[in-house]
Amino acid sequence: MVKKFFEWLKKPMGLIAVGIAFLALFSGFAYWLNTTQQSPDQPIQFPHKTHVAFGIQCLYCHPGASKGPAAGLPSQAKCWACHNQIAKTQSSALLAPLKDAVLAGESLEWVPVAIVPDFVQFNHRPHIAAGRNCEECHGDMSQVNVAENPQVMNMGWCLNCHIEAAGEDQEKLIKLSDCGTCHY
Amino acid sequence: MIRPEEIKMSAEETGKWGMVIDQDICTGCQACVAACAMENNITFVGEVDSGYGRSMHWIRIERFWEGEYPEVKMTPQQPMMCQQCGHANCEPVCPAFATVHSQAEQLNLQVYNRCVGTRYCANNCPYQVRAFNWRDYQRPEPLQNQFNPDVTVRRMGVMEKCTFCIQRIHKAQDTAKSEGREVRDGEFTTACAQACPANAIVFGRVDQPESLVSQLKHRRHGVKHLEELGTLPNVTYIKGG
Repeated sequence: MVKKFFEWLKKPMGLIAVGIAFLALFSGFAYWLNTTQQSPDQPIQFPHKTHVAFGIQCLYCHPGASKGPAAGLPSQAKCWACHNQIAKTQSSALLAPLKDAVLAGESLEWVPVAIVPDFVQFNHRPHIAAGRNCEECHGDMSQVNVAENPQVMNMGWCLNCHIEAAGEDQEKLIKLSDCGTCHY
Repeated sequence: MIRPEEIKMSAEETGKWGMVIDQDICTGCQACVAACAMENNITFVGEVDSGYGRSMHWIRIERFWEGEYPEVKMTPQQPMMCQQCGHANCEPVCPAFATVHSQAEQLNLQVYNRCVGTRYCANNCPYQVRAFNWRDYQRPEPLQNQFNPDVTVRRMGVMEKCTFCIQRIHKAQDTAKSEGREVRDGEFTTACAQACPANAIVFGRVDQPESLVSQLKHRRHGVKHLEELGTLPNVTYIKGG
C-alpha cells in the first residue's frame, strides 16, 4: 500500500499533488509571517496624518512623554473636546465608535503599537529632555494613517543611539551602556 | 569597552549606594520583608514549595541563639539582604553574564533577560540571599493588580535578588535631573527602609561623607558581614552601640 503510494507520487498527477501541498504550506507560512507584521486593530481607524496636518502637536494627545515613563494614549474626553464642535462627528460612520463611547461613558481601548518587553524599563522623559524628537523612533506621523511601528525596537537599536549620544564622554557612556539603566 | 584593570579599580572603591542597619533597634517585625515583596513583585511560593526551601525573599530576618538549652539567649535580629558587594562572588561564576557589576551605580545587577538559571551565583553567594523562580507562580485575583509597573515580573527559571530598589534610585535621579539638581540625601529610600517602623535601616550614598548613612557608618561601631572574604560589602551592621 505504502509502496504503491510512493510510486503514484512519481507519476505526473502525484508530482502535481506534491507541488500543491508544498505551495499550500508555503503560502500558509507566508500568511502567518505577514500577520505577525501587521499593526493591531484599533477601535477607531485613527488618521494621524489628518491630525498632524491640522497642526496638533504630538504632546497634546500624548502629554506623558515629556513628564514621565509612559507617553499615554488619549481618552475619549480629549478627542471629544474638539470633536463635539465638529459637525462631521455626528454624521461620519468612521467616527461612530467615538460618539458611542462618549454617549455610553466607556473608554476607547487603544492598542499600543510601540511596545518593549516587560524586562525593559523605558522612560520617555530623559529621551525628550535629551532633545530626541518623537519621529526619530516612531516615524513621521504626518505620513501614516493608523499608527504602526516603523522599526524593530530591539536592544541593538537602543544601544546604537545610546553610544552615539555618549560620544567621547566616558562617564555618560558608562551610564548609557549600563545594564541597570534599562533592565531591573 | 571595559578593560580588566578598570574592573579591578572599581572593586577597590568603596561603592556608591550603601545601607546601615541598627540591630539594637530592629524588633524583627518583618515589615521590611513585606514591603520588599510588595515593591519588587516578589511572588508567594506557597507552603509546598516553601517546604522544599524555595521560598522567595530578597530580605529576611535572621535569628540566632546563644548558649545551651534551657539557658538560651537570642542575639539581636539580623536583617539580611544582598550586600551589593564591591567584589562579588556571584559575578565571576555566571556563564551568561546575567549578574554583572554596574559601573554607573556600583551595584550588583541581575539582568533577568540574560539569566539562563544555572543557579551558580546563588551557590556561590556567601550570604545566601539569592532567590530562584522554580515555577511561574500565579497570583490569585485581585493580587495581579498590585504589581509594581517599575519592576520586571520575573518568570520561571530566573534568579533574582535585592537590587537596593534600583527603580527608586532611577526615579529619584530622573526627578532630580528634570529639576536640574543633584539627588539630595534622604530624598528617597528603599522600600525596606521606608517601611521600618523603628528606622533601623538607613539608605544613602556611602561615597558622600556628609550623608546620614556615611556618618552612621563611621561614627558607631560597624560590622560588615564576611568582610574577611574580600567581598567589600556595602551594608554595615551596628549593634551594642
